[in-house]
Amino acid sequence: MADVLAEGYNVFDTSKSPSGTVKYLSSPADVISLIQSGKLQEHILLVRGGTTTFLAPALSMGAIGVITMSGAPESHLGILSREFQTPCVMTAHLTGSDSRYVVGATSDEHFAEIARELDGKKVRLDCTDDEVGRIVADD
Amino acid sequence: MTTTEGKRATYKQRYEAGDDGLRFQDLTYTGNFVGMEPVTDGIKGDKMMKARAKSGVLEKVSKDDVLKDQFSIDELNDLNNYLAWNIWDVLVMRATEGESGMIPRQEYEILAFMHEFYRWPEILRMTTAEVGGAQGVMDIGASARREIGTKVNSVHDWAIGAVGFGMGRCGLLALETIGADDYIPESNEILKFMQRVLWGKRQDGYLLNSQDRYRCQIHEQDFLDQLVAQVEPIEHGSPKHSAFTQFNAAAELLSFLDHYDCRLGLGDTGPYELPDGNILILRDLFVNEEVFHWSDVCEDAKLPHCYTLALVIDPNRMGLNEIRVNDISTTFTRPKNYIEAIVGGAVFAREKWNTPMGEVYPIKIDDLGEHLERVRTATLKLYTKTSKMCRRDLIWNGQYVYYIDMILPHLRKAGTYEKACRDYDLWEIDQRVSNYYYDITKRGFAQETVPSKIFSGAGYLPFSDNADLRNSKGRWL
Repeated sequence: MADVLAEGYNVFDTSKSPSGTVKYLSSPADVISLIQSGKLQEHILLVRGGTTTFLAPALSMGAIGVITMSGAPESHLGILSREFQTPCVMTAHLTGSDSRYVVGATSDEHFAEIARELDGKKVRLDCTDDEVGRIVADD
Repeated sequence: MTTTEGKRATYKQRYEAGDDGLRFQDLTYTGNFVGMEPVTDGIKGDKMMKARAKSGVLEKVSKDDVLKDQFSIDELNDLNNYLAWNIWDVLVMRATEGESGMIPRQEYEILAFMHEFYRWPEILRMTTAEVGGAQGVMDIGASARREIGTKVNSVHDWAIGAVGFGMGRCGLLALETIGADDYIPESNEILKFMQRVLWGKRQDGYLLNSQDRYRCQIHEQDFLDQLVAQVEPIEHGSPKHSAFTQFNAAAELLSFLDHYDCRLGLGDTGPYELPDGNILILRDLFVNEEVFHWSDVCEDAKLPHCYTLALVIDPNRMGLNEIRVNDISTTFTRPKNYIEAIVGGAVFAREKWNTPMGEVYPIKIDDLGEHLERVRTATLKLYTKTSKMCRRDLIWNGQYVYYIDMILPHLRKAGTYEKACRDYDLWEIDQRVSNYYYDITKRGFAQETVPSKIFSGAGYLPFSDNADLRNSKGRWL
């Protein structure tokens, strides 16, 4: 069985299992740049927040999968990823780390560690479980 | 093929009197009930909150009750406690979403909450007077029963009390600028307006969807029949299914963005059971709100004020166990994925907020491609435009979305919006709130203190046993 690199809340149950290279997006300029590159659909998008406005054009233009470091299925991004049927794992944590997201009490290092470990990796999202979404190594 | 195949729909059991519903989350609520059994989410939570009320305000109330000029202290406290739980119920998991990366939402929200609590009471009092009193306000609510594409809907009506009174008072208490027994007539003014609009809209005695097992079945049957007659069957996996669901998602996304990442841009009603056993959700998506200056990109894309989608869902296809149309107008289901169970749909457009219902027109699903392009164009332009705004502009724009838009539909219906702008400086920012702009970034006030008070329920202090219904704000000490 392939390595589960990270896991979090599964936004909605789906048999879709997109794969791609993780792309960490840290600013709206990153989002616009990715869309303009024409390579949006080669990537699983990794973002820090769980809100939808940040990823708006990427979702609208056909993002294939999303990982967030905070947020839950009731978040706006959760709602929108379900409507777009874009598999989405929220508040993902690294399976190899003890660091967990806590509302209002999460250090920047928590986010930096996840970005460092996942950015650039080839992964697949497994969103078949009702509650848990998994980020699986796909090399 | 879905992971839910083979399950059967059991959602109707949720409507049986003895049923407590499913748990959508593991968290529990304490609020003002320290030392008592923790309250759950959902139907069971509603039952627990009703059982703890001291008055009858959370039960089905009569028209005479609604016409009364003010609530008693017990009624105010029951509403305060219930709204605090309801806010937790619909938003606590959303509180985990952190920073937007785009719009400073926590910052604009708290400013708007406080602004609303200070400024809405006299504007709502004026509006009540202009429409001839309590009955006129109930009539505003009742207008939603024969319209789609109107913002006189769950989220706006709920926001008057839950946000303007509940969160606004909670924020000011957290900032220690008011005491628990201050501004009682003002609180009454806001909550009475909310009660009257909601009662007029529902007409069943309840105020909130959560009091009715998360149903928002407000439309008259003959009106619904006219809409259902326009529904086109959608075959699973067909291009029509894709066209319909992609349009739904893209328009919903733009409605979020045009409303600064909040849910004032959308409004669900239902679920309505259809004769064939399927269920209908009606969804308003407000993709162009002309009152916002940044919505010019939506105007340029020739987008209407609102698209309304009729979504027909086959409950057996997804093995539906529970469906909630919550009080902020969003539909959640268990299992979560209802999109693959959509078996029919229709789309309607309303050009302007005041377009007569008779001029709302249907759009065939096969013709949605052109509309989808318009939506995508506006989304990209609005995103680019928003990303260039400075933090201060983003915060005050967002503040306006809440403070103006949450009562805008009611003022529009009442014909008092212009008067509110002209005589009450609606778009001006109160000096107190303007000064708070600098306070909200200190000691994590907007990012940590307020969310913890608001989402935990801890900040909704009750009015005391000594509270006087006449007491406004007597002293600044």
